[in-house]
Amino acid sequence: MALVPPPGLTVAAFERALRAFASVVGDEWVFATDEDRATYSDHFAIDEEAHRPGAAVAPITVEEIQAIVRLANEHKVPLWPISRGKNFGYGGAAPRLRGSVVLDLSRMKKIEVDVENGTALVEPGVGFYDLYDYIQRNKIPLWLSVPGNSWGSVCGNALDRGVGYTTYGDHTSKICGLEVVLPDGDLVRTGMGAMSNAPTWQLYRYGYGPAWDQMFVQSNFGIVTKLGLWMMREPETMVGIDMEFDKPDDLEWIVDTVAPLRREGILQQSPSIGSWLRGAAVLTTRAEWYDKPGALPDSVIDAIRRKFNMGWWSLSMRFYGPEEITEATAKVVRRAFNGRPVLSIKDSKWKQGDPPELSAWAGVPITFPLQNANWHGGRGGHIGFSPVLPANGRLALEQFHRTYARYKEFGMDYHGSFAMGERHITNVNQVLFNKDDPEMMARVDRFFRTLVEDAKKYGYGEYRTHLDYMDLVAWTYDFNDRALLRLNEKVKNALDPNGILAPGKSGIWPARYAEHRDVGGKA
Amino acid sequence: MSRLFRIRAAGIGAALILAVGGSLASADERQDVERGRELYREKCAMCHAAGGMGTGLLSRRYPKGQELLENRTDLDPAFIATAVRGGIGNMPRIARGEVSDAELALISKYLTRRERN
Repeated sequence: MALVPPPGLTVAAFERALRAFASVVGDEWVFATDEDRATYSDHFAIDEEAHRPGAAVAPITVEEIQAIVRLANEHKVPLWPISRGKNFGYGGAAPRLRGSVVLDLSRMKKIEVDVENGTALVEPGVGFYDLYDYIQRNKIPLWLSVPGNSWGSVCGNALDRGVGYTTYGDHTSKICGLEVVLPDGDLVRTGMGAMSNAPTWQLYRYGYGPAWDQMFVQSNFGIVTKLGLWMMREPETMVGIDMEFDKPDDLEWIVDTVAPLRREGILQQSPSIGSWLRGAAVLTTRAEWYDKPGALPDSVIDAIRRKFNMGWWSLSMRFYGPEEITEATAKVVRRAFNGRPVLSIKDSKWKQGDPPELSAWAGVPITFPLQNANWHGGRGGHIGFSPVLPANGRLALEQFHRTYARYKEFGMDYHGSFAMGERHITNVNQVLFNKDDPEMMARVDRFFRTLVEDAKKYGYGEYRTHLDYMDLVAWTYDFNDRALLRLNEKVKNALDPNGILAPGKSGIWPARYAEHRDVGGKA
Repeated sequence: MSRLFRIRAAGIGAALILAVGGSLASADERQDVERGRELYREKCAMCHAAGGMGTGLLSRRYPKGQELLENRTDLDPAFIATAVRGGIGNMPRIARGEVSDAELALISKYLTRRERN
């Protein structure tokens, strides 16, 4: 594996920069062997070389980060900050721009919890398991909200608009106060944190004047070194309703039934309407069912559903709080489904004092859902195509049919879900693949670009995407000659004139590396 | 002092040295294994404890009980290092920023601990 320095730098100049970084963090925390470059690459990538880092450096304090940022400016070295680098399906630890130095913040693991107010202040290296263990160890009566694969960073997930399953599942909306190292090495605290020693940093989001928290979400405008997050009090009860539905076209009325419940705040958690493969791919491999190429035929889908007694779609809803409220809410939700052809309904109830329910609905971190990457056998992987839709049944069904037809056309197994927001749907489609099948891998890129193009025709844009498609997706946000992208890049160039911080993140390119934008051809 | 006594004394001394030295080595080793166990719980158990992704996938290939790495007796340090740094199957590569070489060595000591083998 050849050492690839960042664009515009010789190997000798790059090595000088690495020595300068080592003078800050010590030799042992600068990683520049071939093995290091491989470990910080994206093991799910269609083409790992396209995003191969030049090296990595792992500071442990804010002061070290500031020093590295100043040196990066001096040596013109692009940095790619990661929290824990577990954003699999979106690029993992790998940088958008080949040769960048990964700024690995996974050693930064400080946690502060304000039990009374239900808030946490975490450093980027704090994983969901770390925070969960901290809460358990200290017997703190707060619950986490965790994503379906919970090995990542609490901070990194919120900063990438990751989601969970409780009423606190829209993680980015629970951010309250950030500490950020800016591209010139300055340090800023947002919201009430702008006042020294303010006891309200994690209590009131906006502070005084413009509120900047979202400016540092999915952006390359700063390195978040502390993140404030609101947490949920352990509820008195958690009541659940799990439903299965028989037919693909049931999606329309399911969406139209759930949407008003979400809009009016009766259902405060974001339930996801998921297809049969969501469960089957975790529990089994494709070879157990079918040995031919192409999308699975309906007869096989039926056999899988029979085996696991699952619907074409499934829906799980959870209600949290005092029993009087959760029971009443469950009653209202059940009434909304009255007269509908629900295949099966299962009720559940957890009360304080019961053994913990080991599920993401109870805020317990999990990793088993990623077993689905083994669906095809071989070295498995996935990428996600996730357009945002209106919370409307007809439109959701039409989008489903378009997407399903493309899955069949490209010979891929459909793995879709519709996560119900308050007024929108995030339509997460996982594309499961086998990296040891070159023919399949050749199809994946064309397939993904086709899905983006299809959605764009209807005005549907993605909420988050893999490194390979950051430019492509940014390009679909095209109002007024891409005025938002132009604004983002004006801000980028003003804050980061040397373009050292995560060039290309979310399609935002500093002038220095603008020629690396790629909206059409191969990444 | 009789020769026999000297021999006995020397023998007892040697035995004492061996015993003390042995118990010192053993204490160090136990400490490393214990630290390795803690690190394993912190860094690996999310996937390799019961209910984790790694355990789920290994259960498809190993007899019951052997899907848990902590129960395995066939692991060796070289294989562990290769799997951790190179990834294996669904397991991603683990970088040195997340698990340092020193930490990996301790985890390896735990997974290959003698008292279990």
